Amino acid sequence: MNLEETFRYLGYKGNMADEQTLKLAEECWQELEKRAEKRSCYKEFPISIQDGRLDMGCFQTESQALEKNLKGCSHVVLFAATLGVQADNLIRRYSHVQMSRAVVMQAAASAMLEDYCDQINQEIRQEYEKKGLYLRPRFSPGYGDFSLNCQPALIWGLEAGKRIGITLTDSLLMMPSKSVTAVIGVSPAPAKRSWNTDVQAASDGDKWNIKGCTACNKTDCLYRRENL
Amino acid sequence: MSTNILEEISRRKVFCDGGMGSLLQAKGLKAGELPETWNLLHPEILKEIHGSYLEAGCDIVTTNTFGANRLKYPAGGDFDLKAIIKAAVENARWAVKKAGKGFVALDLGPTGKLLKPLGDLDFDDAYHIYREVVITGCQAGADLILIETMSDSYEAKAAVLAAKENSSLPVFATMIFDGKGKLLTGGNVESAVALLEGLGVDALGINCGLGPVQMKDILKEILAAASIPVIVNPNAGLPRSEKGTTVYDIDEDQFAAVMEEIGQMGANVLGGCCGTTPGHIRKLTDRCKNQRQVLPGQKNRTVVSSYTHAVVIDRDPVIIGERINPTGKSRFKQALREHNLEYILQEGVVQQDQGAHILDVNVGLPEIDEPRMMEEVIKELQSIIDLPLQIDTSDLTAMERAMRIYNGKPLINSVNGKKESMEAIFPLVKRYGGVVVALALDEKGIPDTADGRIQVAEKIYKKAAEYGIQAKDILIDGLCLTVSSDSKGALTTLETVRRVKDQLGGKTILGVSNISFGLPQREIINGAFFTMAMTNGLNAAIINPNSQVMMKAYYSFRALADLDRQCGDYIEVYGNTSAGSGAGDAKAAGEKGENSSMAGRGLTSGRPSALVASPSAGQNVMELGDCIRRGLKERAHEAVKQLLAQKGALDIIHEEMIPALDYVGKGFEKGTVFLPQLLMSAEAAKAAFDVIKDEMSKKGLSQEKKGTIVLATVKGDIHDIGKNIVKVLLENYSYEVLDLGKDVAPERIVETAVEHHVPLVGLSALMTTTVPSMEETIKRLRKDAPWVKVMVGGAVLTEEYARTIGADHYCRDAMASVNFAESVIKEDS
Repeated sequence: MNLEETFRYLGYKGNMADEQTLKLAEECWQELEKRAEKRSCYKEFPISIQDGRLDMGCFQTESQALEKNLKGCSHVVLFAATLGVQADNLIRRYSHVQMSRAVVMQAAASAMLEDYCDQINQEIRQEYEKKGLYLRPRFSPGYGDFSLNCQPALIWGLEAGKRIGITLTDSLLMMPSKSVTAVIGVSPAPAKRSWNTDVQAASDGDKWNIKGCTACNKTDCLYRRENL
Repeated sequence: MSTNILEEISRRKVFCDGGMGSLLQAKGLKAGELPETWNLLHPEILKEIHGSYLEAGCDIVTTNTFGANRLKYPAGGDFDLKAIIKAAVENARWAVKKAGKGFVALDLGPTGKLLKPLGDLDFDDAYHIYREVVITGCQAGADLILIETMSDSYEAKAAVLAAKENSSLPVFATMIFDGKGKLLTGGNVESAVALLEGLGVDALGINCGLGPVQMKDILKEILAAASIPVIVNPNAGLPRSEKGTTVYDIDEDQFAAVMEEIGQMGANVLGGCCGTTPGHIRKLTDRCKNQRQVLPGQKNRTVVSSYTHAVVIDRDPVIIGERINPTGKSRFKQALREHNLEYILQEGVVQQDQGAHILDVNVGLPEIDEPRMMEEVIKELQSIIDLPLQIDTSDLTAMERAMRIYNGKPLINSVNGKKESMEAIFPLVKRYGGVVVALALDEKGIPDTADGRIQVAEKIYKKAAEYGIQAKDILIDGLCLTVSSDSKGALTTLETVRRVKDQLGGKTILGVSNISFGLPQREIINGAFFTMAMTNGLNAAIINPNSQVMMKAYYSFRALADLDRQCGDYIEVYGNTSAGSGAGDAKAAGEKGENSSMAGRGLTSGRPSALVASPSAGQNVMELGDCIRRGLKERAHEAVKQLLAQKGALDIIHEEMIPALDYVGKGFEKGTVFLPQLLMSAEAAKAAFDVIKDEMSKKGLSQEKKGTIVLATVKGDIHDIGKNIVKVLLENYSYEVLDLGKDVAPERIVETAVEHHVPLVGLSALMTTTVPSMEETIKRLRKDAPWVKVMVGGAVLTEEYARTIGADHYCRDAMASVNFAESVIKEDS
């Protein structure tokens, strides 16, 4: 149960929750644990970078932030994970019945999804480290200047629709809503310390290694992490 | 074709082809290239692939049309959809002609989008997407339609309806299950089989997702449920990625060996999916072609389903909640007139929490558009409640519309022995599937004797059979008449129930509470009669699950009749309550319809929550303001009741409630109170308002609203939580909120603003991709409703962004919207 993250998503900014809300958050986690159907899939693709253009086999894009992240990588792992439609169903149901619970459920589901992504990411990392390869921090469309327009091709390339049920709406939102897609660089060398804070943290094996707000320009964000 | 594929299946094992995508890739199809374009670009390759499958021994070749639909090939794009489909069928046709054998299956895959309410594709749009493919494919000469790789039962329903209504070809449908036998959208084998058989497909089964080894357990489940031929088309095994290419954990020989077992288990049509090749199919057909074909027998099971699960109606009685029905309920009628869906949904949620297995839905009221209301209520209910529904209406249009958009196999209430009724209802049951309640009455009225009612039941069974509707899909209602006017009435009903079971081998249902009409303390009679009816074999009861007397009868009957092993359910429900406490209070609350105070609990526990909630008498009553500040819903409910004895409703609102809400709101703005607390306070206030509203309506008063505000999440955006939060708060501050929902077209927002001449519109957008549609909405509002103030909010918006798109006010949080509303509406008045 990751209550700390749950409350960060609820805008607590490190403040303590009162007992009643704490209990509510715990109940939401319990309900989600019962109902959410965590699924993920990933697949390796070769990558080439030329004149600022990134080609990942199933899609091409331009993104300075992603390019920086993938510098020195020979391959990428495309990754997708979701909590499935039942998490959305829970949130939808409670938004008709008890809004306070819907809001906490929403935050708990986001936190749960992040934890799940971290867990799978860690498994992939270990798998690659056995082969003497290192993973870069995971990087998602919509983050920094990595365009959301890459979503259809990324999801198609992963067959994420058929395999884990992720679809896109006309405006490129993922459905089920508690879903993540990401690109993870694979490199023969561990990331250098001097790169940027994200990557530095990654090489430290810090638990924040695959999180971070540094590449994002929205500095007034309610959820922005301090200290990074 | 000279022979029919269904005849072939009845005689021998029939074989499908294998994978298409991997073969095309081997021939040079690039990643990201649309495979269906090759029907036109490289017809020779497609012909060759189909030909090699036929040569390998398959009977059915599937057209390369998995993704050929309007969404992937929009009008005006590089390729013409119809030309692609036509070429696909022609390529397969060519191969069949050359081989001198085989059938061409028009392949329909998923649209790639999720249907509403999970996603943004409308059911009707999905239907039309498939309809176009079906019509084109049939004209081009397909022999059958294969709907495959469906992970959503709702989408499968749209595809099957499109296939059945626009062609006369056999329709096969296969779903993609995970290793646990579940669909990605939550359904299971039994619910999928119920839906597909109800819709009248000719064969059903499983494909993709798993290898043959993992499919064996799921096949067992399918065979236990299905009464029609079963198809199994697995992947070549479980895939893994090796140096960028996909390899499978088993080889062709192992694949074929497992498929041989699958054939022996009882699969009737066998083939392959991803990764399988003509090599796989050759080995498979070699091993299975001489196997004896045994078709699944008729399963005499009465099953209804929702999108997540099936409910079997058999010896263990099923409870159908009767509360979604305006008869005799003024508050419900008012909700229907005011289009207050929230109230109706609450009735559903509470009944589910109380243990109902199915919900009856009746929204008939002379002054409303019943078909429209029925459709809307069914859609809303199935978006938040996963119980099967019973469509209860005498309006045929309403019934058909509800059956069409229902995501599952519904219960239908009702048909009777009159010729006119049967001729109207049975075709609908045949078309959409369903279990139908059949009242044992006819042109001559209600027979006085059980003999007479049994005769009507027999007539109904017979007539249904003429329409191809089996006895298992009929529940005979032996008719409960009030015992106060006929002292033998109950006995006649019970005899009918017993004889339908023993003599006709049928299933029964009763609207139990009719028995006590006109008597005092009706529950006493209802509870006793319910037990008697169950003892006589009643299979389904339409009752009020909020009534503890009825639920006590139900749980104790099950414990006593060996339907509740080791009394587990009984103990779970009643183990922690002492007689006379909890349950009794809950009952009282339920009867008065004051259910809002307990809503939202016990969703997944499967345990009646009324036993948990409800404060008992004698507990200290807290100050109302305190209850609201601390977000204590149940206590606020109690406190306001006490307060009403001393103070007028309006005084309570202004002196107690508003100051408490303001206090919390200010705390939220200062950052000392957080969103969940703000909402809990709002919910406590709402619980109190509900009590006040009841009190006022008893006196014929209504609460004055400050003004009307339109709220909507803009077109393209389907996140509505932020908007819903705002709604809860605005309503607490006595604004009338017209909530248009999510993904709302600009025109609709403008129309509503104009029609109601509202002073304020609130718009929400969560994603950068949907802000342009917010801008568009504002532009149109400026043009057609220049008086309207527009406030906007949502994760991606900022003060500056809001200004650029022309909004009057940016709301950084929910309280900001209340403050802006207060300032706008004050100016306005």
